[in-house]
Amino acid sequence: MNKIYIVEDDRSIRTELAELLNNAGYETECLTDFSNSLKNILESESDLILLDINIPFINGEMLLRNIRKKTDIPVIMVTSRTSETDEVLSMSYGADDYITKPYNPTILLLRISAVLKRACKDNIKTSYRNLQVNSAKGSLSDGNTEIILTKNEMIIFQLLLDRQGQIVSRNDLMTTLWDNEEYINDNALTVNISRLRTKLSDFGYENAIETRKKQGYILI
Amino acid sequence: MKFSKFLADKAVTIIISMVTWLIIWDFLSAFHIKSGQIFIIGFVYFLSGLINMLWEYFRRYRFYNDMIFDCDNLEKKYLLSSMTENPDFYEGQLFYEILCETNKSMCDSVAEYRKSSEEFQEYIELWVHEIKLPVASLLLMCHNNPDIDGKYNEQLRRIDDCIENVMYYARSENVKKDYLIKEVSLKRTFSKIALKNREELQQRNVTIKTKNLDVSVMTDSKWLEYIMGQIIANSMKYFSANREPEISIYTTDFTEKTTLHIRDNGIGISASDLPYIFEKSYTGNNGRTHAKSTGMGLYIIKNLCDSLGHDVKADSVQGEFTDISISFGKNNFIKM
Repeated sequence: MNKIYIVEDDRSIRTELAELLNNAGYETECLTDFSNSLKNILESESDLILLDINIPFINGEMLLRNIRKKTDIPVIMVTSRTSETDEVLSMSYGADDYITKPYNPTILLLRISAVLKRACKDNIKTSYRNLQVNSAKGSLSDGNTEIILTKNEMIIFQLLLDRQGQIVSRNDLMTTLWDNEEYINDNALTVNISRLRTKLSDFGYENAIETRKKQGYILI
Repeated sequence: MKFSKFLADKAVTIIISMVTWLIIWDFLSAFHIKSGQIFIIGFVYFLSGLINMLWEYFRRYRFYNDMIFDCDNLEKKYLLSSMTENPDFYEGQLFYEILCETNKSMCDSVAEYRKSSEEFQEYIELWVHEIKLPVASLLLMCHNNPDIDGKYNEQLRRIDDCIENVMYYARSENVKKDYLIKEVSLKRTFSKIALKNREELQQRNVTIKTKNLDVSVMTDSKWLEYIMGQIIANSMKYFSANREPEISIYTTDFTEKTTLHIRDNGIGISASDLPYIFEKSYTGNNGRTHAKSTGMGLYIIKNLCDSLGHDVKADSVQGEFTDISISFGKNNFIKM
Protein backbone atom coordinates (compact mmCIF):
# COMPACT_ATOMS: atom_id res chain seq x y z
CA MET A 1 0.00 0.00 0.00
CA ASN A 2 1.39 3.37 -0.95
CA LYS A 3 1.64 6.06 1.69
CA ILE A 4 0.76 9.64 0.85
CA TYR A 5 1.85 12.58 2.94
CA ILE A 6 -0.53 15.53 2.98
CA VAL A 7 0.81 19.05 3.53
CA GLU A 8 -2.26 21.27 3.70
CA ASP A 9 -3.03 23.92 6.29
CA ASP A 10 -6.80 24.11 5.77
CA ARG A 11 -8.05 21.58 8.27
CA SER A 12 -11.30 20.72 6.55
CA ILE A 13 -9.60 20.09 3.21
CA ARG A 14 -6.94 18.08 4.99
CA THR A 15 -9.36 15.67 6.63
CA GLU A 16 -11.48 15.31 3.48
CA LEU A 17 -8.38 14.70 1.41
CA ALA A 18 -7.21 12.04 3.82
CA GLU A 19 -10.62 10.38 3.68
CA LEU A 20 -10.64 10.47 -0.11
CA LEU A 21 -7.21 8.87 -0.29
CA ASN A 22 -8.01 6.28 2.35
CA ASN A 23 -11.14 5.28 0.44
CA ALA A 24 -9.01 4.95 -2.68
CA GLY A 25 -6.76 2.53 -0.86
CA TYR A 26 -3.85 4.71 0.15
CA GLU A 27 -2.32 5.11 3.56
CA THR A 28 -2.13 8.77 4.60
CA GLU A 29 -0.33 10.96 7.05
CA CYS A 30 -0.98 14.66 7.56
CA LEU A 31 1.43 17.37 8.57
CA THR A 32 0.05 19.25 11.58
CA ASP A 33 3.13 20.96 12.94
CA PHE A 34 4.19 23.37 10.23
CA SER A 35 7.11 24.81 12.17
CA ASN A 36 9.15 21.73 11.40
CA SER A 37 7.75 20.81 7.99
CA LEU A 38 10.89 19.51 6.34
CA LYS A 39 11.95 17.30 9.22
CA ASN A 40 8.48 15.77 9.60
CA ILE A 41 8.16 15.11 5.87
CA LEU A 42 11.53 13.43 5.62
CA GLU A 43 10.87 11.28 8.68
CA SER A 44 7.50 10.05 7.41
CA GLU A 45 8.99 7.79 4.70
CA SER A 46 6.05 8.32 2.36
CA ASP A 47 5.78 7.38 -1.30
CA LEU A 48 4.30 10.67 -2.42
CA ILE A 49 3.74 14.16 -1.04
CA LEU A 50 0.75 16.40 -1.76
CA LEU A 51 2.10 19.87 -1.12
CA ASP A 52 0.14 23.11 -0.81
CA ILE A 53 1.90 26.38 -1.70
CA ASN A 54 0.26 28.62 0.92
CA ILE A 55 1.37 27.05 4.16
CA PRO A 56 2.48 28.69 7.40
CA PHE A 57 6.11 29.47 8.16
CA ILE A 58 7.56 28.51 4.80
CA ASN A 59 6.33 28.88 1.25
CA GLY A 60 5.49 25.54 -0.39
CA GLU A 61 7.83 26.24 -3.28
CA MET A 62 10.75 26.83 -0.91
CA LEU A 63 9.82 23.71 1.01
CA LEU A 64 9.83 21.76 -2.26
CA ARG A 65 13.33 23.02 -2.98
CA ASN A 66 14.51 21.88 0.43
CA ILE A 67 12.88 18.48 -0.03
CA ARG A 68 14.56 18.10 -3.41
CA LYS A 69 17.97 18.70 -1.83
CA LYS A 70 17.45 15.59 0.28
CA THR A 71 15.28 13.19 -1.70
CA ASP A 72 13.60 12.65 -5.05
CA ILE A 73 10.30 11.40 -3.62
CA PRO A 74 7.38 12.29 -5.95
CA VAL A 75 5.70 15.60 -5.10
CA ILE A 76 2.39 16.90 -6.45
CA MET A 77 1.75 20.58 -5.84
CA VAL A 78 -1.87 21.24 -4.91
CA THR A 79 -2.77 24.89 -4.73
CA SER A 80 -5.46 27.47 -5.21
CA ARG A 81 -3.04 29.79 -6.96
CA THR A 82 -3.80 29.82 -10.63
CA SER A 83 -0.90 31.59 -12.16
CA GLU A 84 1.52 30.33 -14.73
CA THR A 85 4.45 31.69 -12.72
CA ASP A 86 3.66 29.49 -9.73
CA GLU A 87 3.33 26.44 -11.92
CA VAL A 88 6.56 27.06 -13.82
CA LEU A 89 8.39 27.77 -10.56
CA SER A 90 7.07 24.60 -8.93
CA MET A 91 7.93 22.44 -11.92
CA SER A 92 11.41 23.91 -12.14
CA TYR A 93 11.96 23.16 -8.44
CA GLY A 94 11.20 19.55 -9.22
CA ALA A 95 7.46 18.98 -8.68
CA ASP A 96 6.10 15.96 -10.54
CA ASP A 97 2.71 17.50 -11.17
CA TYR A 98 0.74 20.65 -10.41
CA ILE A 99 -2.98 20.68 -9.67
CA THR A 100 -5.12 23.71 -8.91
CA LYS A 101 -7.92 23.83 -6.36
CA PRO A 102 -10.75 23.14 -6.46
CA TYR A 103 -9.76 19.91 -8.12
CA ASN A 104 -11.97 17.19 -9.39
CA PRO A 105 -11.31 14.31 -6.92
CA THR A 106 -11.32 11.72 -9.71
CA ILE A 107 -8.67 13.65 -11.60
CA LEU A 108 -6.60 14.08 -8.45
CA LEU A 109 -6.61 10.31 -7.86
CA LEU A 110 -5.74 9.75 -11.50
CA ARG A 111 -2.76 12.08 -11.27
CA ILE A 112 -1.58 10.49 -8.04
CA SER A 113 -1.66 7.02 -9.53
CA ALA A 114 0.08 8.26 -12.69
CA VAL A 115 2.88 9.88 -10.70
CA LEU A 116 3.27 6.82 -8.48
CA LYS A 117 3.38 4.61 -11.55
CA ARG A 118 6.11 6.71 -13.09
CA ALA A 119 8.09 6.74 -9.84
CA CYS A 120 8.16 2.97 -9.35
CA LYS A 121 8.17 1.44 -12.79
CA ASP A 122 8.01 -2.16 -11.54
CA ASN A 123 4.47 -1.43 -10.33
CA ILE A 124 3.14 -1.50 -13.87
CA LYS A 125 1.48 -4.77 -14.61
CA THR A 126 2.47 -6.12 -17.98
CA SER A 127 0.69 -9.42 -17.89
CA TYR A 128 -2.82 -10.72 -17.38
CA ARG A 129 -3.00 -14.43 -16.57
CA ASN A 130 -0.93 -15.88 -19.41
CA LEU A 131 -1.30 -12.85 -21.65
CA GLN A 132 1.52 -10.43 -22.30
CA VAL A 133 0.36 -6.82 -22.43
CA ASN A 134 2.38 -4.66 -24.75
CA SER A 135 1.07 -1.16 -24.20
CA ALA A 136 3.59 0.49 -26.54
CA LYS A 137 2.45 -1.73 -29.39
CA GLY A 138 -1.13 -1.82 -28.12
CA SER A 139 -1.42 -5.58 -28.27
CA LEU A 140 -2.18 -8.69 -26.21
CA SER A 141 -0.47 -11.96 -26.94
CA ASP A 142 -0.41 -15.46 -25.45
CA GLY A 143 2.73 -16.48 -27.28
CA ASN A 144 0.94 -17.94 -30.28
CA THR A 145 -1.55 -15.33 -31.32
CA GLU A 146 -1.38 -11.57 -31.02
CA ILE A 147 -4.47 -9.37 -30.98
CA ILE A 148 -4.24 -5.64 -31.56
CA LEU A 149 -6.29 -3.41 -29.27
CA THR A 150 -7.40 0.07 -30.31
CA LYS A 151 -6.07 3.00 -28.27
CA ASN A 152 -9.34 3.23 -26.33
CA GLU A 153 -9.48 -0.48 -25.63
CA MET A 154 -5.88 -0.40 -24.42
CA ILE A 155 -6.56 2.52 -22.04
CA ILE A 156 -9.61 0.72 -20.63
CA PHE A 157 -7.80 -2.60 -20.32
CA GLN A 158 -4.77 -1.02 -18.65
CA LEU A 159 -6.92 0.72 -16.04
CA LEU A 160 -8.90 -2.44 -15.30
CA LEU A 161 -5.65 -4.39 -15.07
CA ASP A 162 -4.06 -1.88 -12.70
CA ARG A 163 -7.02 -2.32 -10.39
CA GLN A 164 -7.57 -6.01 -11.08
CA GLY A 165 -10.08 -7.46 -8.64
CA GLN A 166 -11.49 -4.00 -7.79
CA ILE A 167 -14.51 -2.29 -9.22
CA VAL A 168 -13.67 0.47 -11.68
CA SER A 169 -16.51 2.92 -12.18
CA ARG A 170 -17.60 4.15 -15.59
CA ASN A 171 -16.80 7.61 -14.30
CA ASP A 172 -13.17 6.63 -13.69
CA LEU A 173 -12.93 4.99 -17.11
CA MET A 174 -14.38 8.04 -18.77
CA THR A 175 -12.06 10.42 -16.90
CA THR A 176 -9.04 8.33 -17.88
CA LEU A 177 -10.12 8.18 -21.53
CA TRP A 178 -10.76 11.92 -21.69
CA ASP A 179 -7.46 12.58 -19.96
CA ASN A 180 -5.87 10.69 -22.85
CA GLU A 181 -7.58 12.99 -25.34
CA GLU A 182 -10.18 10.40 -26.34
CA TYR A 183 -13.42 12.35 -26.09
CA ILE A 184 -15.87 9.48 -26.42
CA ASN A 185 -19.45 9.35 -25.19
CA ASP A 186 -21.33 6.87 -23.03
CA ASN A 187 -22.43 4.61 -25.88
CA ALA A 188 -18.93 4.45 -27.30
CA LEU A 189 -17.63 3.32 -23.91
CA THR A 190 -20.15 0.49 -23.82
CA VAL A 191 -19.18 -0.50 -27.37
CA ASN A 192 -15.48 -0.42 -26.49
CA ILE A 193 -16.01 -2.60 -23.43
CA SER A 194 -17.96 -5.18 -25.40
CA ARG A 195 -15.28 -5.25 -28.11
CA LEU A 196 -12.63 -5.72 -25.44
CA ARG A 197 -14.68 -8.61 -24.04
CA THR A 198 -14.86 -10.24 -27.46
CA LYS A 199 -11.11 -9.92 -27.92
CA LEU A 200 -10.45 -11.42 -24.48
CA SER A 201 -12.82 -14.31 -25.17
CA ASP A 202 -10.81 -15.02 -28.34
CA PHE A 203 -8.05 -16.01 -25.94
CA GLY A 204 -10.53 -18.13 -24.03
CA TYR A 205 -11.16 -15.64 -21.24
CA GLU A 206 -14.91 -15.38 -21.41
CA ASN A 207 -16.48 -13.17 -18.76
CA ALA A 208 -13.07 -11.75 -17.79
CA ILE A 209 -14.72 -8.36 -17.41
CA GLU A 210 -17.78 -8.46 -15.20
CA THR A 211 -20.38 -5.74 -15.01
CA ARG A 212 -21.44 -4.62 -11.55
CA LYS A 213 -24.74 -2.90 -11.85
CA LYS A 214 -24.63 0.83 -11.10
CA GLN A 215 -21.04 0.48 -9.91
CA GLY A 216 -18.84 -0.30 -12.86
CA TYR A 217 -16.66 -3.05 -14.20
CA ILE A 218 -14.27 -5.50 -12.64
CA LEU A 219 -11.51 -7.52 -14.23
CA ILE A 220 -11.42 -10.97 -12.73
CA MET B 1 -0.96 81.29 -34.17
CA LYS B 2 -2.34 83.78 -36.68
CA PHE B 3 -1.08 87.35 -37.00
CA SER B 4 -4.53 88.74 -37.76
CA LYS B 5 -5.97 87.18 -34.62
CA PHE B 6 -2.99 88.47 -32.65
CA LEU B 7 -3.70 91.99 -33.98
CA ALA B 8 -7.38 91.69 -33.15
CA ASP B 9 -6.34 90.66 -29.66
CA LYS B 10 -4.19 93.83 -29.47
CA ALA B 11 -7.08 96.05 -30.65
CA VAL B 12 -7.19 98.00 -27.38
CA THR B 13 -3.45 98.76 -27.50
CA ILE B 14 -3.77 99.88 -31.10
CA ILE B 15 -6.75 102.11 -30.36
CA ILE B 16 -4.94 103.68 -27.36
CA SER B 17 -1.85 104.43 -29.46
CA MET B 18 -4.07 105.93 -32.20
CA VAL B 19 -5.82 108.17 -29.69
CA THR B 20 -2.44 109.08 -28.13
CA TRP B 21 -1.18 110.00 -31.61
CA LEU B 22 -4.19 112.22 -32.24
CA ILE B 23 -3.55 114.04 -28.95
CA ILE B 24 0.17 114.44 -29.75
CA TRP B 25 -0.74 115.65 -33.24
CA ASP B 26 -3.12 118.17 -31.74
CA PHE B 27 -0.41 119.47 -29.43
CA LEU B 28 2.20 119.61 -32.20
CA SER B 29 -0.21 121.55 -34.44
CA ALA B 30 -1.01 123.95 -31.58
CA PHE B 31 2.74 124.73 -31.32
CA HIS B 32 2.82 125.41 -35.09
CA ILE B 33 5.22 122.57 -35.88
CA LYS B 34 5.60 122.04 -39.61
CA SER B 35 3.57 119.20 -41.09
CA GLY B 36 6.77 117.58 -42.49
CA GLN B 37 8.23 117.35 -38.97
CA ILE B 38 4.93 116.04 -37.62
CA PHE B 39 5.06 113.37 -40.33
CA ILE B 40 8.56 112.28 -39.28
CA ILE B 41 7.59 112.13 -35.60
CA GLY B 42 4.46 110.16 -36.58
CA PHE B 43 6.53 107.79 -38.72
CA VAL B 44 8.97 107.08 -35.86
CA TYR B 45 6.10 106.68 -33.43
CA PHE B 46 4.23 104.15 -35.56
CA LEU B 47 7.39 102.34 -36.70
CA SER B 48 8.46 101.75 -33.08
CA GLY B 49 4.93 100.58 -32.31
CA LEU B 50 4.97 98.18 -35.26
CA ILE B 51 8.41 96.80 -34.42
CA ASN B 52 7.32 96.28 -30.83
CA MET B 53 4.19 94.48 -32.03
CA LEU B 54 6.13 92.20 -34.43
CA TRP B 55 8.74 91.39 -31.77
CA GLU B 56 5.97 90.42 -29.32
CA TYR B 57 4.27 88.35 -31.99
CA PHE B 58 7.32 86.36 -33.02
CA ARG B 59 8.36 85.51 -29.45
CA ARG B 60 4.93 84.09 -28.79
CA TYR B 61 4.69 82.61 -32.26
CA ARG B 62 7.70 80.35 -31.63
CA PHE B 63 6.52 79.19 -28.21
CA TYR B 64 2.88 78.54 -29.02
CA ASN B 65 3.40 77.13 -32.48
CA ASP B 66 5.92 74.60 -31.19
CA MET B 67 3.43 73.67 -28.52
CA ILE B 68 0.52 73.29 -30.98
CA PHE B 69 2.72 71.22 -33.28
CA ASP B 70 3.82 68.92 -30.43
CA CYS B 71 0.29 68.59 -29.16
CA ASP B 72 -0.98 67.55 -32.59
CA ASN B 73 1.74 64.98 -33.03
CA LEU B 74 1.78 63.48 -29.56
CA GLU B 75 -0.18 60.29 -29.11
CA LYS B 76 -0.33 60.86 -25.37
CA LYS B 77 -1.14 64.56 -25.15
CA TYR B 78 -0.51 64.72 -21.43
CA LEU B 79 3.21 64.44 -22.14
CA LEU B 80 3.13 67.95 -23.64
CA SER B 81 4.64 69.67 -20.64
CA SER B 82 7.78 67.56 -20.85
CA MET B 83 8.12 68.39 -24.56
CA THR B 84 7.82 72.15 -24.02
CA GLU B 85 10.79 74.36 -23.12
CA ASN B 86 10.57 77.18 -20.63
CA PRO B 87 10.12 80.33 -22.83
CA ASP B 88 12.01 83.63 -22.48
CA PHE B 89 8.99 85.86 -21.82
CA TYR B 90 7.18 86.37 -18.56
CA GLU B 91 3.61 85.35 -19.48
CA GLY B 92 4.93 82.25 -21.18
CA GLN B 93 6.97 81.35 -18.11
CA LEU B 94 3.91 81.69 -15.91
CA PHE B 95 1.93 79.56 -18.34
CA TYR B 96 4.70 76.98 -18.46
CA GLU B 97 4.85 76.75 -14.69
CA ILE B 98 1.10 76.27 -14.41
CA LEU B 99 1.21 73.59 -17.12
CA CYS B 100 3.89 71.70 -15.21
CA GLU B 101 2.00 72.06 -11.98
CA THR B 102 -1.29 70.71 -13.36
CA ASN B 103 0.53 67.90 -15.10
CA LYS B 104 2.22 66.86 -11.90
CA SER B 105 -1.06 66.93 -10.06
CA MET B 106 -2.65 64.76 -12.75
CA CYS B 107 0.24 62.29 -12.57
CA ASP B 108 -0.19 62.06 -8.81
CA SER B 109 -3.88 61.50 -9.15
CA VAL B 110 -3.42 58.82 -11.85
CA ALA B 111 -0.81 57.11 -9.69
CA GLU B 112 -3.25 57.09 -6.82
CA TYR B 113 -5.93 55.44 -8.93
CA ARG B 114 -3.46 52.97 -10.37
CA LYS B 115 -2.37 52.06 -6.88
CA SER B 116 -5.89 51.60 -5.62
CA SER B 117 -6.79 49.55 -8.70
CA GLU B 118 -3.74 47.36 -8.17
CA GLU B 119 -4.62 46.96 -4.52
CA PHE B 120 -8.12 46.00 -5.51
CA GLN B 121 -6.82 43.41 -7.94
CA GLU B 122 -4.48 42.04 -5.29
CA TYR B 123 -7.38 41.78 -2.91
CA ILE B 124 -9.49 39.99 -5.55
CA GLU B 125 -6.67 37.49 -6.16
CA LEU B 126 -6.36 36.94 -2.43
CA TRP B 127 -10.09 36.60 -2.04
CA VAL B 128 -10.23 34.12 -4.92
CA HIS B 129 -7.64 31.94 -3.20
CA GLU B 130 -9.59 32.16 0.03
CA ILE B 131 -12.96 31.31 -1.46
CA LYS B 132 -11.51 28.37 -3.37
CA LEU B 133 -10.66 26.60 -0.14
CA PRO B 134 -14.24 26.02 1.03
CA VAL B 135 -15.24 25.13 -2.53
CA ALA B 136 -12.44 22.55 -2.73
CA SER B 137 -13.44 21.28 0.67
CA LEU B 138 -17.09 20.93 -0.35
CA LEU B 139 -16.19 19.13 -3.59
CA LEU B 140 -14.18 16.60 -1.58
CA MET B 141 -17.02 16.20 0.91
CA CYS B 142 -19.44 15.50 -1.94
CA HIS B 143 -17.08 12.93 -3.38
CA ASN B 144 -16.47 11.27 -0.02
CA ASN B 145 -20.14 11.02 0.78
CA PRO B 146 -21.75 8.47 -1.54
CA ASP B 147 -25.28 9.62 -0.58
CA ILE B 148 -24.78 13.01 -2.16
CA ASP B 149 -25.56 13.00 -5.83
CA GLY B 150 -24.03 14.90 -8.70
CA LYS B 151 -26.28 17.95 -8.57
CA TYR B 152 -24.29 19.39 -5.67
CA ASN B 153 -21.08 18.96 -7.63
CA GLU B 154 -22.65 20.74 -10.55
CA GLN B 155 -23.57 23.75 -8.41
CA LEU B 156 -20.11 23.86 -6.87
CA ARG B 157 -18.61 23.87 -10.32
CA ARG B 158 -20.88 26.78 -11.23
CA ILE B 159 -19.61 28.68 -8.21
CA ASP B 160 -16.06 27.93 -9.26
CA ASP B 161 -16.74 29.24 -12.77
CA CYS B 162 -18.13 32.48 -11.36
CA ILE B 163 -15.05 32.87 -9.17
CA GLU B 164 -12.78 32.40 -12.18
CA ASN B 165 -14.75 35.04 -14.09
CA VAL B 166 -14.16 37.59 -11.35
CA MET B 167 -10.47 36.82 -11.19
CA TYR B 168 -9.86 37.02 -14.91
CA TYR B 169 -11.94 40.17 -15.20
CA ALA B 170 -9.73 41.76 -12.55
CA ARG B 171 -6.63 40.50 -14.34
CA SER B 172 -7.75 41.66 -17.75
CA GLU B 173 -8.67 45.16 -16.59
CA ASN B 174 -5.46 45.78 -14.77
CA VAL B 175 -2.41 47.56 -16.04
CA LYS B 176 -0.18 45.12 -14.20
CA LYS B 177 0.49 42.30 -16.64
CA ASP B 178 1.05 39.16 -14.66
CA TYR B 179 1.27 36.52 -17.31
CA LEU B 180 4.07 34.32 -18.47
CA ILE B 181 4.46 33.46 -22.13
CA LYS B 182 5.89 30.07 -22.95
CA GLU B 183 5.34 27.20 -25.34
CA VAL B 184 1.95 25.63 -24.64
CA SER B 185 0.50 22.52 -26.22
CA LEU B 186 -3.03 23.12 -27.51
CA LYS B 187 -3.78 19.43 -27.23
CA ARG B 188 -2.91 19.35 -23.51
CA THR B 189 -4.73 22.59 -22.80
CA PHE B 190 -7.89 21.44 -24.51
CA SER B 191 -7.77 18.08 -22.77
CA LYS B 192 -7.69 19.86 -19.39
CA ILE B 193 -10.77 21.88 -20.30
CA ALA B 194 -12.58 18.88 -21.74
CA LEU B 195 -11.86 16.88 -18.62
CA LYS B 196 -13.08 19.70 -16.41
CA ASN B 197 -16.34 19.98 -18.33
CA ARG B 198 -16.70 16.28 -19.10
CA GLU B 199 -19.82 15.68 -17.06
CA GLU B 200 -21.76 18.53 -18.60
CA LEU B 201 -20.56 17.77 -22.12
CA GLN B 202 -21.64 14.15 -21.75
CA GLN B 203 -24.95 14.95 -20.13
CA ARG B 204 -25.81 17.05 -23.15
CA ASN B 205 -24.42 14.41 -25.46
CA VAL B 206 -22.00 16.74 -27.18
CA THR B 207 -19.81 15.26 -29.88
CA ILE B 208 -16.28 16.61 -29.71
CA LYS B 209 -14.12 16.59 -32.80
CA THR B 210 -10.47 17.55 -32.69
CA LYS B 211 -8.16 17.98 -35.66
CA ASN B 212 -4.55 19.18 -36.00
CA LEU B 213 -4.44 20.02 -32.31
CA ASP B 214 -0.96 18.62 -31.83
CA VAL B 215 0.74 22.01 -32.05
CA SER B 216 2.38 24.34 -29.61
CA VAL B 217 1.78 28.07 -29.42
CA MET B 218 3.39 30.87 -27.46
CA THR B 219 0.98 31.96 -24.74
CA ASP B 220 0.16 31.82 -21.02
CA SER B 221 -1.37 28.40 -20.48
CA LYS B 222 -3.60 29.44 -17.55
CA TRP B 223 -5.07 32.37 -19.45
CA LEU B 224 -5.56 30.26 -22.55
CA GLU B 225 -7.27 27.58 -20.48
CA TYR B 226 -9.68 30.17 -19.18
CA ILE B 227 -10.26 31.66 -22.65
CA MET B 228 -10.95 28.30 -24.30
CA GLY B 229 -13.08 27.23 -21.34
CA GLN B 230 -15.22 30.34 -21.70
CA ILE B 231 -15.69 29.83 -25.43
CA ILE B 232 -16.78 26.24 -24.87
CA ALA B 233 -19.09 27.31 -22.02
CA ASN B 234 -20.64 29.79 -24.47
CA SER B 235 -21.12 27.07 -27.06
CA MET B 236 -22.88 24.93 -24.48
CA LYS B 237 -25.20 27.81 -23.61
CA TYR B 238 -26.41 28.29 -27.15
CA PHE B 239 -26.88 24.82 -28.62
CA SER B 240 -29.65 24.39 -31.12
CA ALA B 241 -32.60 22.23 -30.16
CA ASN B 242 -32.93 20.91 -33.71
CA ARG B 243 -29.76 18.87 -34.02
CA GLU B 244 -27.17 16.84 -32.15
CA PRO B 245 -24.75 19.27 -30.51
CA GLU B 246 -21.22 19.21 -31.81
CA ILE B 247 -18.06 21.19 -31.07
CA SER B 248 -15.05 20.99 -33.35
CA ILE B 249 -11.67 22.23 -32.30
CA TYR B 250 -9.01 22.48 -34.96
CA THR B 251 -6.09 24.58 -36.03
CA THR B 252 -5.06 26.05 -39.34
CA ASP B 253 -1.43 26.78 -39.90
CA PHE B 254 -0.04 29.80 -41.71
CA THR B 255 3.55 30.86 -42.15
CA GLU B 256 3.34 33.69 -39.65
CA LYS B 257 0.59 32.46 -37.34
CA THR B 258 -1.35 29.48 -36.03
CA THR B 259 -5.10 29.88 -35.77
CA LEU B 260 -7.19 27.89 -33.34
CA HIS B 261 -10.86 27.47 -34.23
CA ILE B 262 -13.60 26.51 -31.82
CA ARG B 263 -16.68 25.87 -33.87
CA ASP B 264 -20.11 24.74 -32.72
CA ASN B 265 -23.29 23.94 -34.59
CA GLY B 266 -25.44 26.01 -32.23
CA ILE B 267 -27.97 28.73 -32.88
CA GLY B 268 -25.33 31.14 -34.20
CA ILE B 269 -25.21 34.91 -33.93
CA SER B 270 -27.21 37.25 -36.10
CA ALA B 271 -25.27 39.39 -38.58
CA SER B 272 -26.44 42.55 -36.83
CA ASP B 273 -25.07 41.38 -33.45
CA LEU B 274 -21.83 39.89 -34.75
CA PRO B 275 -19.72 43.08 -34.95
CA TYR B 276 -20.49 43.98 -31.33
CA ILE B 277 -20.20 40.71 -29.42
CA PHE B 278 -16.76 41.56 -27.98
CA GLU B 279 -18.03 44.83 -26.54
CA LYS B 280 -18.49 45.24 -22.83
CA SER B 281 -21.95 44.36 -21.51
CA TYR B 282 -23.26 43.63 -25.03
CA THR B 283 -25.80 40.84 -24.78
CA GLY B 284 -27.45 40.97 -28.20
CA ASN B 285 -30.48 39.03 -29.27
CA ASN B 286 -29.28 35.62 -28.02
CA GLY B 287 -28.61 37.06 -24.58
CA ARG B 288 -32.22 38.16 -24.35
CA THR B 289 -34.02 35.24 -25.92
CA HIS B 290 -31.87 32.30 -24.82
CA ALA B 291 -29.54 31.75 -21.89
CA LYS B 292 -29.05 34.56 -19.42
CA SER B 293 -26.02 36.59 -20.37
CA THR B 294 -23.94 39.26 -18.68
CA GLY B 295 -22.20 40.32 -21.87
CA MET B 296 -18.88 40.12 -20.04
CA GLY B 297 -17.51 36.74 -21.16
CA LEU B 298 -16.40 37.63 -24.66
CA TYR B 299 -15.31 41.09 -23.54
CA ILE B 300 -12.93 39.55 -21.00
CA ILE B 301 -11.70 37.10 -23.63
CA LYS B 302 -11.00 39.94 -26.04
CA ASN B 303 -9.17 41.88 -23.33
CA LEU B 304 -7.03 38.90 -22.34
CA CYS B 305 -6.24 38.11 -25.98
CA ASP B 306 -5.25 41.73 -26.60
CA SER B 307 -2.91 41.66 -23.62
CA LEU B 308 -1.31 38.44 -24.83
CA GLY B 309 -1.11 39.76 -28.39
CA HIS B 310 -3.51 37.19 -29.86
CA ASP B 311 -6.08 38.07 -32.45
CA VAL B 312 -9.58 36.87 -31.61
CA LYS B 313 -12.36 36.82 -34.21
CA ALA B 314 -15.87 35.54 -34.50
CA ASP B 315 -17.61 34.15 -37.54
CA SER B 316 -21.17 32.95 -37.55
CA VAL B 317 -24.26 32.24 -39.61
CA GLN B 318 -27.46 32.47 -37.63
CA GLY B 319 -29.07 29.09 -37.14
CA GLU B 320 -26.01 27.24 -38.42
CA PHE B 321 -22.77 27.72 -36.58
CA THR B 322 -20.50 29.95 -34.50
CA ASP B 323 -16.75 29.88 -35.01
CA ILE B 324 -14.48 31.72 -32.61
CA SER B 325 -10.88 31.80 -33.75
CA ILE B 326 -7.73 32.84 -31.93
CA SER B 327 -4.56 33.56 -33.87
CA PHE B 328 -1.22 33.05 -32.18
CA GLY B 329 1.78 34.77 -33.69
CA LYS B 330 4.80 32.64 -34.41
CA ASN B 331 8.00 34.04 -33.12
CA ASN B 332 11.04 31.86 -33.30
CA PHE B 333 12.99 34.37 -31.31
CA ILE B 334 10.83 33.82 -28.21
CA LYS B 335 11.17 30.06 -28.67
CA MET B 336 14.91 30.30 -28.16
